[in-house]
Amino acid sequence: MMQHDAMTFRNVSAGYKQRKVLDNVSFTVKEGEFVSLIGPNGCGKSTLLKTAAALLKPLSGTVELFGQDVQHIKPALRASLLGVVPQKIESPMAFTVDQIVMNGRISSMGRWGTPSSVDHDLVERSMIYTDVLDLRERFFTELSGGEQQRVALAMVLAQDPKIIMLDESISHLDINHRQEVLQILMNLNREKQMTILLVSHDLTLSAGISDRFLLMEAGTLVKAGTPVEVLEPEVLSRVYNCDLHVQQDPYTGYLQVTGAIDSLRRRQKLNRSVHVIAGGGSGIELYRRLLIEGYEVTTGVLNRLDSDAEAARALNIPAVLEQPFSPVGSDVIAQVLKMVGEADAVILSQVPFGSGNLVNLTLAEAALKRGIPVFLADGIATRDYTDGKAALAFITRLMQSGAEAWHSIPELMTNLQQQPRR
Amino acid sequence: MSMKPVKRSAVCADNSFTMQSRSRAAMRMLLFFVALMALLALSMLLGPSGIGIPDMESPSGSAILSLRFSRLLMGMMTGAALSASGVVFQALLRNPLAEPYVLGVSGGAGLGATLTILAGTGVLASFSLPVVAFLSAVVTLMVVYGIASQGSSGQPSVYSLILSGVIVSSICSSIIMFLVSTASVEGMHNVIWWMLGSLQPVSAGQQLLSAALLFGALAGIWLLSPRLNALALGREMAHYQGLHADLVIVVGLLFATLLAAIAVSLSGMIGFVGLIVPHVMRAIFGPDHRKLVPLAALGGGVFLVVCDAVARTLLAPVEIPVGVVTALAGGPFFLIILQRRMKQAWIA
Repeated sequence: MMQHDAMTFRNVSAGYKQRKVLDNVSFTVKEGEFVSLIGPNGCGKSTLLKTAAALLKPLSGTVELFGQDVQHIKPALRASLLGVVPQKIESPMAFTVDQIVMNGRISSMGRWGTPSSVDHDLVERSMIYTDVLDLRERFFTELSGGEQQRVALAMVLAQDPKIIMLDESISHLDINHRQEVLQILMNLNREKQMTILLVSHDLTLSAGISDRFLLMEAGTLVKAGTPVEVLEPEVLSRVYNCDLHVQQDPYTGYLQVTGAIDSLRRRQKLNRSVHVIAGGGSGIELYRRLLIEGYEVTTGVLNRLDSDAEAARALNIPAVLEQPFSPVGSDVIAQVLKMVGEADAVILSQVPFGSGNLVNLTLAEAALKRGIPVFLADGIATRDYTDGKAALAFITRLMQSGAEAWHSIPELMTNLQQQPRR
Repeated sequence: MSMKPVKRSAVCADNSFTMQSRSRAAMRMLLFFVALMALLALSMLLGPSGIGIPDMESPSGSAILSLRFSRLLMGMMTGAALSASGVVFQALLRNPLAEPYVLGVSGGAGLGATLTILAGTGVLASFSLPVVAFLSAVVTLMVVYGIASQGSSGQPSVYSLILSGVIVSSICSSIIMFLVSTASVEGMHNVIWWMLGSLQPVSAGQQLLSAALLFGALAGIWLLSPRLNALALGREMAHYQGLHADLVIVVGLLFATLLAAIAVSLSGMIGFVGLIVPHVMRAIFGPDHRKLVPLAALGGGVFLVVCDAVARTLLAPVEIPVGVVTALAGGPFFLIILQRRMKQAWIA
């Protein structure tokens, strides 16, 4: 069967006046496809949906629905092509459920908004499908979140669109109704060739039902393809900035994406400490992640006015501080060396180096001499502001004496776990 | 012999799920209309000259009756305009506090009207009053909208709209106060009486013009009413469902502004009606705007007529400003209704 292009993004950049959210996104969804759109919070999934529905005008590029530029499709026609189930709908007034669902027919009804029997049939069918018929005389606002979501879905189904986009709409449903709603979507997809674009955070669930995945990161489309192609642990771990595993069930072939939460539970009490050399705000994310993973964290030497010093104080992290604009004193050095000596590992953040904080590198050197593993953020060359690239030379020397480089925090966390206990 | 399933038989009520029996709603509607008629008739019987039908034979008797009738018309027009305007503002802003006064629209219309009253007298003034009131109300709405849009990309939030509306409204009333304080004694008298709100009949020409504008605006709003239902779920959802959401909002705001300006130019500053009558009608008949718009217009009109009848009778021959009666007498009555049917009114 010849498949038409249901939705096409051509080099679309979109967003708001001050902030570009989508950056040059291109993809095509064929008619009858079941596509999951995935990506971390704030990566632009909702903006993509709004742009697809012509709620946002692209800053550049075009969005097409069935070959027509969505900006030039009449609203009523657009509603018959594309339905959107938002994250949540709110009705301020006491509308009953059937009144709400009838809104799905608004653009097909006549001038006076009188529904025909076709309208009634569609509304009733979609209410039966979504199991909200019994709720029809209740007030929408009185329903639970999950019931409201099913009413919203019924309303959009009543539109009878060719494409349905769901914006994390099923995450509030209980397991029973989530399965049901997915079943409804799959049936519509199979029997009526309805195209489904599902924004989802449940990667495992989506992997089981989707033909294709679109993976977004920071406003760009990083990968599109079958679930097996997109659900690669390395890519996912980088995009979601955490440790993720993908397993394939040997019997059903289903992919299962799991986070590190299970292993985290096992190592609640790590009793391992890590010393972080940071500055200028480069340590905050490291502190956060190390604390979540269960490490004891120390840090220093930090300038007393540094944002990392502030973060350390807020997080209750022992820190060795020095007065701003002063050379680091010998007593301070002795204090921090003691701290480093008690650590199981030393991490150097992506802190820029100048003559003032070059002394911090001697801490790493001292740690190496005592056999403490040292992890250095890569790319020092771009952050070296010392005369004659002293920091770069220093780092190179440290690498030769056994320090390791790190690129991403998930990778660093994995490496830390593998360190033998001292 | 096999029975074929009949898709549409006489016993199978088609669409019975969504077309519920309308008998109760129809009964309620009928009662409502009977009550309205009775109230209108009653208000024709009340007056400072006594209760009952005045002697039609005497010239003074027929004059009294015709005066009462024209006050009835004034009340119907003003009340309908205020109430329908409130319905639209509440629907478009999705806020139960919205009404022409909150958005500064009435204040703007009042300022324009004050200037007109102070500037001149005669035929020209009475004609230009509704027009100037409307224009200044529209300008006020644009100013409010402009202030509220600052800093937001595109659509202003409801909260910023209401906040800037309240600010602009109080600026307008300060300017009115200033104008009044510097006006001549006669001008001051005119403006203050007008501001207190009164259903003293205006010139026939102005009544005709106002009636024409009123019917136009009410018809326009009624045409919008199915879309107001969809907009209750918010601008985005209405857009997804195939409405020109922004166009509906702008046109709706303009019509509601026109209605508020008509009311202000006819009868001055009469509060309360635009806020409370829509709520009571919603509590009784539900939020479906296709029914709510005409019912609220009727209900608002009759409410104001009755209030006016009370205002001119209670302390006769002294006449109480009708704006005082609307809140003092109507408030408790409506509070009782709202208390009993809180759920149907507005669940926040």
